[in-house]
Amino acid sequence: MSAGWRTLLLRIGDRCPEYGGSADHKEHIETCYGVLSREYEHSREAIFELKYLEVLTEIFFLPKQFLLECAEQLPHKIPFFGVLVGLINLENEDFAKDIVDTTQAKLQDALHSENRDRIRILLRFLSGLMCSKVVVPNSIVETFETLLSSAATILDEETGNPSWQPRADFYVYCILASLPWGGPELFEQVPDEFERVLVGIQSYISIRRHFDDIAFSVFETDEGHSPNKKDFMEDLWERIQILSRSGWKVKSVPKPHLPFEAQLVAGKSHRLSPISCPPPNLSQTNSEILKGQEKHEADLKYPQRLRRLHIFPTNQAEDSRKECAFYLVSLPVSFRYEYLMAETIFSQLLLLPNPPFRPIYYTLVIIDLCKALPGAFPSVVVGAVHALFDRISNMDMECRTRLILWFSHHLSNFQFIWPWQEWSYVKDLPRWAPQRVFVQEVLEREIRLSYFEKIKQSIEDAAELEELLPPKAGPNFKFLSDESTENTDGHKLSKELVGMVRGKKNVRDIILWVEEHVIPTNGAEFALDVVSQTLLDIGSKSFTHLITVLERYGQIISKLCPNEEMQLLLMDEVGAYWKNSTQMTAIAIDRMMGYRLISNLAIVKWVFSPANVEQFHVSDRPWEILRNAVSKTYNRISDLRKEIQSLKKGLQVAKEVSAKATKELEEAKSVLEIVEGQPAPAERPGRLRRLQAYADKAKKEEVTTEESLEAKGALLARALEESKELLKLLFKRFVDVLTERLPAVSADGEIPNLRAGYQNVNFAAQDLETATMEIDNENGADKNSEPNGQNTKNDYNVGELEQWCLCTLGYLKSFSRQYATEIWSQIAMLDEEVFVGDIHPLIRKAAFSGLCRFTNEGSQL
Amino acid sequence: MASLFKDPSKLSAYRDRRFPGTQEEYEAALQASTTVYIGNMSFYTTEEQAYELFSRAGEIKKIIMGLDKNSKTPCGFCFVLYYSREDAEDAVKYIGGTMLDDRPIRVDFDWGFEEGRQWGRGRSGGGYGKMVQKELEAQRELVDYGGAFQPNAPPPYERGERKSGYGDSYRNDRGDYQRKRYRNDDRSAAEGSRRAPDSDQAEKNPRFREKGDSDEEDDDYDKRRRR
Repeated sequence: MSAGWRTLLLRIGDRCPEYGGSADHKEHIETCYGVLSREYEHSREAIFELKYLEVLTEIFFLPKQFLLECAEQLPHKIPFFGVLVGLINLENEDFAKDIVDTTQAKLQDALHSENRDRIRILLRFLSGLMCSKVVVPNSIVETFETLLSSAATILDEETGNPSWQPRADFYVYCILASLPWGGPELFEQVPDEFERVLVGIQSYISIRRHFDDIAFSVFETDEGHSPNKKDFMEDLWERIQILSRSGWKVKSVPKPHLPFEAQLVAGKSHRLSPISCPPPNLSQTNSEILKGQEKHEADLKYPQRLRRLHIFPTNQAEDSRKECAFYLVSLPVSFRYEYLMAETIFSQLLLLPNPPFRPIYYTLVIIDLCKALPGAFPSVVVGAVHALFDRISNMDMECRTRLILWFSHHLSNFQFIWPWQEWSYVKDLPRWAPQRVFVQEVLEREIRLSYFEKIKQSIEDAAELEELLPPKAGPNFKFLSDESTENTDGHKLSKELVGMVRGKKNVRDIILWVEEHVIPTNGAEFALDVVSQTLLDIGSKSFTHLITVLERYGQIISKLCPNEEMQLLLMDEVGAYWKNSTQMTAIAIDRMMGYRLISNLAIVKWVFSPANVEQFHVSDRPWEILRNAVSKTYNRISDLRKEIQSLKKGLQVAKEVSAKATKELEEAKSVLEIVEGQPAPAERPGRLRRLQAYADKAKKEEVTTEESLEAKGALLARALEESKELLKLLFKRFVDVLTERLPAVSADGEIPNLRAGYQNVNFAAQDLETATMEIDNENGADKNSEPNGQNTKNDYNVGELEQWCLCTLGYLKSFSRQYATEIWSQIAMLDEEVFVGDIHPLIRKAAFSGLCRFTNEGSQL
Repeated sequence: MASLFKDPSKLSAYRDRRFPGTQEEYEAALQASTTVYIGNMSFYTTEEQAYELFSRAGEIKKIIMGLDKNSKTPCGFCFVLYYSREDAEDAVKYIGGTMLDDRPIRVDFDWGFEEGRQWGRGRSGGGYGKMVQKELEAQRELVDYGGAFQPNAPPPYERGERKSGYGDSYRNDRGDYQRKRYRNDDRSAAEGSRRAPDSDQAEKNPRFREKGDSDEEDDDYDKRRRR
């Protein structure tokens, strides 16, 4: 029986067997309420059967907890739960009052612990309770007014701190977001008070600062700067005003309380105790930099919401994802919402700076929905991909990468079936055209997840695209033995080295061999060539083979690469050996950094070396390597911080244990007895020895923990120092390569428009040569051979140099955004050493918009 | 919503009999482990494919391929070791049940890799399913983990020496598991025998493992479960 009411609560509003397949919401509520109250009656009788305590818990505690949990975790069913509480309220006022009080307490708690989702959902639940006459409408108005006044205080220079506007915006957003659920009732029952709230919101909107969210927009517009565009709050406010003018009719919000109205009005409405908001975070400073940091912190804590409705609980969709897919496809609303669902999922996947969940989660959600709605959802996904593909040239670089990873993974779950012919035109686009690069990178990732032949077959219907496939992966061993070349020095030495490895020679012996037999006659660079190529070949069979070689013989490489110059050469060797496999190049470099054979600084220098810089706009290869190096650096720091945290805890414990053991020992020692007139230890020597041993051991443990804490602290200090150097070098290199290539600002101060297009193509080609980049002749030829330009609609008319700049600026922005917190902590150093002098405004804009930073003029770029 | 639907028995569904401790210790090991077990893989799936997929849940420390004891070729399972617990959890939550190489793979927490566990114990090449895409598969090659240089063989020098000279490494703390001495008996037989795609595999041809087959026979997890 008790399982009955639980299931009924969970399934309420769903067309499901528990409710006999009925879609009548009134019936659902009646059934569920019937079972709940029968349960209640039944247990009232049971009270006389001495099961008093258990029954009380069951009746007063469990359903209440469960109901509240349901309301929080299945927020789209809040109106149903509201009606249920309303019906219970008719019989049992205390139960309902208890629900109201607990909800108030939870809301209060959520406000202070800054649990955003909870605040929003609890406000909605209170609105739902108000609709079912459980809460007095004026209490809701009071709650709104408290939030509004807190928001206004935050914006005030004197009493608050405008850097924290995101928090103020969030409070007002919560009010607006609960209006579709409670607006009509407020309007009917307390029109004057409600009007006052709306006027308050209007005045808040008029004093708040417009949020120019270019840092977080998935698509960059041509100018990037669009003062007329409405931000999220302005947009939402406008929608709410439209809603209020149309009598608050929202078809996505179910109104199950209406058929019960006649009953519900008899219930006693409860008052809500007043809530309080935490005080504003007062500014500690007048410095621009520290204000920027504060604002960044606020942006992270209260991120801007997307333009979407929050109708389904992906936030809670964790290991019970099948259930979630079920809920997603059976929301109690009367219109088709696959598009809205897809829109929401893709908005989350592409949300900047970070999606709510790891991107790989969305592959799963989309797979589940495709399976749950096989007739409708897959076509919606296809539509979404096409829509995003059409705008890919304006898409943020980070978002583009996420889309590539998701899409390749998605296709790998559906036998790699995709209508590629529709995209076959991209092979006629210039090789830097974003659509072409996108297709090429998706194919690359598909092959990594599968294998070459399989993917080649999957594009059979669009054979033109074969030229976008990467080469078939495989090693490219310089010293491969075959008859014609076998006799060069390199081949001989390489063979000798292979022999030594097979013969299990000691690393020291091999190092000696290199130093005595290879370097003196052939030089260090040649030695590195032979050693690295040969070792890479020995480790070429698999990832495990590679790391085993590096573990066993890395020292030889380490000896040969004591400085950055040699490390750059080593990376050239890796690139040459694995020239047909981007993945293995990236993995090998990543592991070499792991074993400290290569420093992160050397990797940055290598990525920004001419051969790689030329690839920036046509391949993801150098960027993948750069991303790995930076993220490995920060992963290491976060690992160390965690280790230090736990060591500190351990030290605390060890200290307590040690102090206790010492105390016990001292006490035992101090117990004396008088033997032959002299004081002598009373304790048995055996016990003393044992206590002494305990105390020694505990002390030793304490000292060891202290030592490792110190050691980790030193490592962290070193890692932080290294990361500082890394940031400095990274930004310097970005500034250098961009300064070399960006078109100059015109004499009258006009910033070049990189997306201006066609008329610049010829210019671009000329500029290009001076910038040491060449147009791909082969491609040009292909393009000419196309019969009378039938693809003109799909021409991509941004020149190569412009595209290179757009792409590199895009990555600069993406790096600053992703590591904004770390960068803000080093901003004084960067201002002094990197962002000085005559920096091109586009560089400044890219770097600073990633940081959401104001420029000196006070306007946000 | 998770808490409303949670299946409390999930963590301990599989009990590795080789685990040297009590049930509680076993569960504690699973709770803290950063290792995941991947089952129902194709024999042709390479470490690099697994790397591409599993690195999307976080930085990978190591991959240990399950091998057929005799042929020294992959036999349908592997272990992936992460640096962080959260990453391992995400791998289990988000990758389990999805496709790798056209097979729905299983991803579970594992109590931690130990030397010896990489050897498959079942009847290798179990499934004799339909031969979909045979020609394509025929072009693939099994990775031979035997041969002159074996990742599983012991290093030719002492451990202490290996550690010296590197200093602090980036998330690459070697020695999270120490290899015991292991020498396979038939090294000379396996040596250099990179298998030609179509030779001598008629009886136990892994190519016959096709989409949708179950390899319940192959991986040691299932073996364990039946005891």
